[in-house]
Amino acid sequence: MQVSFELAFVVSIAAGLVGAMSGMGGGIVLIPGLTLLGVDIKHAIAVSIVSVIATSSGAASAYLRDRITNLKVGMFLEMFTIVGALVGASIAVVSARTLLFILFGAVLLASWVALLLQSQEYITLADQQDCVSRWLELEGSYYDQAVRATISYRAIRGYLGGPAMFAAGLIAGLLGIGAGAVKVLIQEVLMRLPTKVSTTTSNLIIGVTALAGSSVYLAAGLIDPGLAAPVILGVSTGAFAGTRLLVRLTNTAVRRFFLVVLLFLGIEMIVRGIRGAL
Amino acid sequence: MIRFSTHPGGCRFQIETFVGYILLLGLLGSVTLLLIGMSWRWLETGTLQLDYSLGGMNLFRFMVAEMQLLTHGTISPRIIVSLGITVLLLTPYLRVLSSMLYFAIAEHDIKYTCFSGFVLAVLTYSLFLS
Repeated sequence: MQVSFELAFVVSIAAGLVGAMSGMGGGIVLIPGLTLLGVDIKHAIAVSIVSVIATSSGAASAYLRDRITNLKVGMFLEMFTIVGALVGASIAVVSARTLLFILFGAVLLASWVALLLQSQEYITLADQQDCVSRWLELEGSYYDQAVRATISYRAIRGYLGGPAMFAAGLIAGLLGIGAGAVKVLIQEVLMRLPTKVSTTTSNLIIGVTALAGSSVYLAAGLIDPGLAAPVILGVSTGAFAGTRLLVRLTNTAVRRFFLVVLLFLGIEMIVRGIRGAL
Repeated sequence: MIRFSTHPGGCRFQIETFVGYILLLGLLGSVTLLLIGMSWRWLETGTLQLDYSLGGMNLFRFMVAEMQLLTHGTISPRIIVSLGITVLLLTPYLRVLSSMLYFAIAEHDIKYTCFSGFVLAVLTYSLFLS
């Protein structure tokens, strides 16, 4: 179904805004939003993954200039995420639409649970590094403005972080989202990287992962330029405004609002998937 | 002589800053082209609707088709919008390419040159899919 430029643009602004304010990325709201407008879920996924390149590039460019992003950690993990994204996108192209609805709903509900249980615990940095991570040179330092000190860190379990990133790439490619939360979780919990390094490096990885996924959707003829144009423009505008609006709104208000949105969209997607299957 | 470093302090060329600018310029270039294309479409037809499909093309074939049209002087809102999407898709690709060159030429780091070479090879392969 053909959706008007204006409607796609407005939904994309809202998705970019909510995505930037929640830190979850635009795709998680964009895809359900577009399907509610009548866009086929595979076309929505395809166009969303292209827009993920835009939001990732915008955010990563700012973080890179702050010199917190670790290029080596990013490059190592990208080797796994791009292969995952290629596999995920190839599965999505041949999958039943009802299955994609249910899977997307499940990811939304999983994100809802993660946000509900979110704790503010700080990651304890590792003292000892395993030989694989040392060989991979997964370490670095950055200047933390909040504590006004240089933080040095060494990642551990690089041998597990890589394969785990394949799964993160697979989710990203399959569902057309950045899957930034999963990438951050792997870097923080598994590899013990500081939160700031995990978040900024994840942003860098997201762009390349999304490109690998996009190439499959492009080859499958699922990227519609008439839809891609308003979505890229809308999501970029929304994300730009969202990062600025964030300073004026309290974290609690944003979190409560996003919890409601995730729960509603998650249930709605699963119901539509089940209805389609019946 | 240009000095390269990934460590803060005392360096003239910083790869992070360079890569950051590639991403920023790619995004701004893409958004600008999309805005020009859509504005032109609106001025020409009074509508923002664009109805065309890329029909299962890979990025490189898509780029060649665009360039052929441009060299023949055929320029339309549709080509500008397609160029905007191409620029966006090429942005992360260029980022990986520049990182690989940096690891190879500036750092002489064989390990990370191979890693970025692998990422680049997989991306190149995927962009040739059709």
